[in-house]
Amino acid sequence: MSETVPKPDELVQIDYRPPVRDWMHTPVQFRRGTFCYAAAPKNLKYLEMPNPRDWQPMDEDWKLPENWREIILEGMRERLEKFRSFRLFMDICVRCGACADKCHFYIGSGDPKNMPVLRAELLRSVYRRYFTLAGRLAPKLAGARDLTVDVLKEWFYYFYQCTECRRCSVFCPYGIDTAEVTMLARELLNLVGCNINWAIEPVANCFRTGNHLGVQPHGFKDSIEFAVDELEDLTGVRVEVPIMKKGAEVLFIMPSADYFASPHYYTLLGYLLLFHHVGLDYTVSAYASEGGNFGLFTSHEMIKRLNDKMYREARRLKVKYLIGGECGHMWRVIHQYMDTMNGPADFLEVPVSPVTGTRFEHAASTKMIHICEFTADLIRHGKLKLDPSRNDHWKVTFHDSCNPARAMGLLEEPRYILRNVARHFYEMPENTIREQTFCCGSGSGLGTDENLEMRLRGGLPRANAVKYVRDRFGVNLLTCICAIDKATLPPLLDYWVPGVEVAGVHELVGNALVMEGEKPRTTDLRGQPLASIQPPEVTHA
Amino acid sequence: MDPGPPLIAVSAAEREAVVGRWLARVLATYPEQTSRFLAREPDRFRNPVGHALREGLPLLFDEVSGAFDVARIEGVLDEIMHIRAVQDFRASEAVGFIFFLKPILREILAASGATLEALDRRIDQLALVAFDLYMKCREKVAEIRVNEARQRLFVLEKAAGRRM
Ligand code: SF4
Ligand code: SF4
Repeated sequence: MSETVPKPDELVQIDYRPPVRDWMHTPVQFRRGTFCYAAAPKNLKYLEMPNPRDWQPMDEDWKLPENWREIILEGMRERLEKFRSFRLFMDICVRCGACADKCHFYIGSGDPKNMPVLRAELLRSVYRRYFTLAGRLAPKLAGARDLTVDVLKEWFYYFYQCTECRRCSVFCPYGIDTAEVTMLARELLNLVGCNINWAIEPVANCFRTGNHLGVQPHGFKDSIEFAVDELEDLTGVRVEVPIMKKGAEVLFIMPSADYFASPHYYTLLGYLLLFHHVGLDYTVSAYASEGGNFGLFTSHEMIKRLNDKMYREARRLKVKYLIGGECGHMWRVIHQYMDTMNGPADFLEVPVSPVTGTRFEHAASTKMIHICEFTADLIRHGKLKLDPSRNDHWKVTFHDSCNPARAMGLLEEPRYILRNVARHFYEMPENTIREQTFCCGSGSGLGTDENLEMRLRGGLPRANAVKYVRDRFGVNLLTCICAIDKATLPPLLDYWVPGVEVAGVHELVGNALVMEGEKPRTTDLRGQPLASIQPPEVTHA
Repeated sequence: MDPGPPLIAVSAAEREAVVGRWLARVLATYPEQTSRFLAREPDRFRNPVGHALREGLPLLFDEVSGAFDVARIEGVLDEIMHIRAVQDFRASEAVGFIFFLKPILREILAASGATLEALDRRIDQLALVAFDLYMKCREKVAEIRVNEARQRLFVLEKAAGRRM
């Protein structure tokens, strides 16, 4: 510790028990820049969700249904019975404080209610009041409090200020997952129509057309064709992308941002080159045109409703199995919920790579593998012609997106790929990557511009580690495998670490792939000139 | 422009006392539990805010008492202002921590008369630099907000452009 820090004896022991009066009785202030706008009534109506109305969080009157308290308490009772984990999480926290300083929102904002232990306490205090004997008899002693409109507002503010990243749960000795507490709190808020548009609109769109932006089938086809044309301009190779081809071996599902946003789009170009390179018999679908599932940020019921289309489309198209793209929370849904909600997918086969023969046993039940697993396996078997010097203009680091890292343990594959397709790769400090990765600060539906200030606070720990490798090694590219990251890290870095760009892993794969019949590559997939324009140095990894 | 000679000689003990007290007061602008965390967690990656203050404040004090090199000052202040510009502070609160230095210097340094006035002037100037940086950060936030919306429709816009 540096000599300038006040001596420990000047500071009292840190006490993680909530200071009773303080936090329980201070109503939240909705300051612009630090919260998300309310869901538009048309979206709620479309989804047949309760209490559609015009309102905003900064309004005094939230236009709640008259019996809102009964609705919430009844919803709580129901969920306490249905999810054993919920009751456990409400009961077993010993307030040891191990999680307290692990949340990026706490680290960046300094707001104590962003300590995971206090965030959960917002709900726990109400649980105690209505569902435990001690809380009913002696609420003050038990740390219990009445459910009031102010408490509801506080829930809204802080549960839409948790990105459900699960970093805190890595440190909890009891395995309490505050992300799940947030999920349940949001589910309760949804019962009385207190939800955010940035989560509900994608859900409504997805339900209507199959993807977050509400792109219709012809728009989907246009975007894909546009990418195919551009790819031909860039590489001289014309790839074929079968749309809704019945009987293809693989259904490939990507996050929709890959075909309409930047820098995601360059990752799409990478996938398309890869599939062409190995001659994969695959198809994409305008119906299952979204890997993302904002149901995860809404309710269990909604997760199920949205996830269902993947399996349905796989069945309709009679494919053998699924490959999923560089999407973050999609993998949490697939890894942790899909099988029990909509599975088992008996009509599909255990994924086997047609190129290497590798059988992906770990996906024996979900029948869906991650594109990084597929690609890493190809590289491992020397099936890709790669020229990593084509990524020499990038000094690369890798951000573990929360969900692939913490919800499915995908840690090595992306690194293995990066080391084979690029020659300058640098890790960020150990306590900021892998399981301990810091969130982008914008996940779980919070990545909207009205919430930018809060996102910049929450993203500080991530950006701070990027800054370290930029200053130390000259890193100029942050790679990741999540669509929300690709949308929200560029503004984050623009603020905290200017000069570092963001890319998907498969964009770099696409740059490095030496395609049969290609014209001399003078630019990368972004159209930027390559660092050294020489005949390719081919390596068989 | 060459930075000038030091304004006042400061012993190591005085420096430690000034900087320690200043840091404690800046940390006290955060809620109580948080100020303890910011003071105690030594890891710069787990505690970027505390780290920026611990590293930055001593250097700023060195400039105030020493050469007052504005370029160096900006380099150090920039990180701190980036943080305070997006935290829950009003503009006056975000910048105001600079002025905490005035009473602290009076208590600890044996300065008086012209030297004290000169120190005060430097602190005022430091606050103005901080305010400029604060405004730049706020403008940046506004600019980012506008750009972000455009990236989200990148392909659709590009494709539409091509068809026209
Ligand atoms: S899940 Fe992530 S955002 Fe939510 S409380 Fe835990 S660390 Fe914070
Ligand atoms: S680490 Fe677990 S038991 Fe300890 S305070 Fe946090 S949630 Fe409670």
